[in-house]
This record gives sequence, C-alpha cells and structure tokens, in this order.
Amino acid sequence: MPAAEAIRFDGSELRLTGAALIAGGAALQLSPVHVPILCPLRALTGIPCPLCGMTTSVEATVRLDLESAVAANPAGVLLVAAAIAVLVLRPSVIRLPALILYAALAAMWVYELYRFSVL
Amino acid sequence: MSTVDPQQPATSYPAGGPSGPRASFGRRLVAYLLDSIIVGIVYGIAYAISKPIGGVVSILVGLIYFSYFDGSARGQTIGKMALGIRVIDFRGGGPIGFGRGFIRWLGRILSSIPCFLGYLWALWDKEKQGWHDKIATTVVVPVSDYPITKS
Repeated sequence: MPAAEAIRFDGSELRLTGAALIAGGAALQLSPVHVPILCPLRALTGIPCPLCGMTTSVEATVRLDLESAVAANPAGVLLVAAAIAVLVLRPSVIRLPALILYAALAAMWVYELYRFSVL
Repeated sequence: MSTVDPQQPATSYPAGGPSGPRASFGRRLVAYLLDSIIVGIVYGIAYAISKPIGGVVSILVGLIYFSYFDGSARGQTIGKMALGIRVIDFRGGGPIGFGRGFIRWLGRILSSIPCFLGYLWALWDKEKQGWHDKIATTVVVPVSDYPITKS
C-alpha cells in the first residue's frame, strides 16, 4: 500500500475498542502488584517491539500518572487520548494515512530500543 | 456445446487482485487491539493469582488464546468476532485447527520482530497476508463473504 493511501476505520468499532481500552486500563488498577508483561518476543530475543510498555503506559495514563506513562511508552498516552476523542466526538469513519502508522511505529520502536539500551 | 456447472460460483475475481474478498487492514488492526486488551487483562488476573510463575503464564495466555481461537471452527478470536472477520485455510477455506493456530501464533512473533513489518505486509500483499498468514497458509476474510458453517 502506498504510504499516502488511507487505512479505514469504522467509528462504532473504534468506540467499542476505545471503551475496552479504558476499561482494561481501569481494571489493571485493581491489581495489588504491578504486572510486568513478559512478552514472548522480548523473552526470546531481548529486543523490544514498538508496542513494548503499552500496557504499563495505558494503565498509568488511566490513573493520570503521565510521567510513568511517558517513560514506558509515550504512545499509550496518545492512545488513551484517541480513545476518549473517539468516544466523545463519535466520528462515523476515520481514515488514517498509512504513512502516519509507519512513522508512529518507527518512532515508538526507536524510543523502546533506546529505553532498553539496544541502540 | 459447453455445460455450466451450477456448483461453480459465478463470481470471478480480477487477475492481479486477491483470489477472494479479504478483511480490511483497519478491521484487523482494531481486532488485534481488542485481543491485546483481553490478553492483557487475563494475564493481569493470572499474574495476580500465580505471581511466581507469572512470566510463564504471560506467554501461555497469548499462546493458548491465539492458537485456540484462531484454530477454532469459527476461526475467530474475540476481537475478530467483534469485527466480523475470521481466519481460514488459504487453500481449502476451512478452519485451521489448534496446531496451525499455534504455528500462526509463532509467526506473529516473527512478524513483530522487524518493527511489525510482518503485520504491515498485509497492507500491500496481494492476498493481504501477513507473514504469520504465509507461515500458517491462512487468509483473514470478512464473515459476510465467508460465513461460519456448522460442520
């Protein structure tokens, strides 16, 4: 897919996912211990993927601990913000240029590779 | 004189395009996000219960979740159910079973190593297959075009 082409998202599907994201982040607050997610990729290779730290970040954002959230993965803050925006603004369709997805994943990956001192 | 096989579908798909309708990337991405949330929550509960074996449980939750649901007769994780898409065998069109569901899960790890390139592959692949689809010989399709049949 050319980078300028758009990925189409259905608004009602995004609202369901946005609500699940915030509910999931809230549910993790109930855990008495911080849950370290040991992902198979990092367990096997030691290399983090662009989504590393997202669970921690979303969970921290939901309890408004933005410092911890950004430290884990800044994209978690943006994802929760996007979820709130989708729930409030109720767009029927969102078209995201593929280029934005590529750029976001690349930026997240560089951040995580630095965080785990791979770079 | 040629005979027409009534069993043969009349629809033909353009050369150079996919060999049938394929699930959109947006739907697959949202389904993946939903599945990640569900796996995260299940893992959170499992970890709270069995802290010493938390690391092992972490991997097992994802392994069993994706292998079982993608390999089920419906070919759907909970995220795929919500989004109306399913995994089918590329050649036969049927369910893939737990074993190939597991292979597909292993493929997911491979797909995510180079900055999710294996997942993004579905954006430009002719059959909209990610690497994990290619490894498990699967395609992801809309349920509207490939209804779940009870066998």
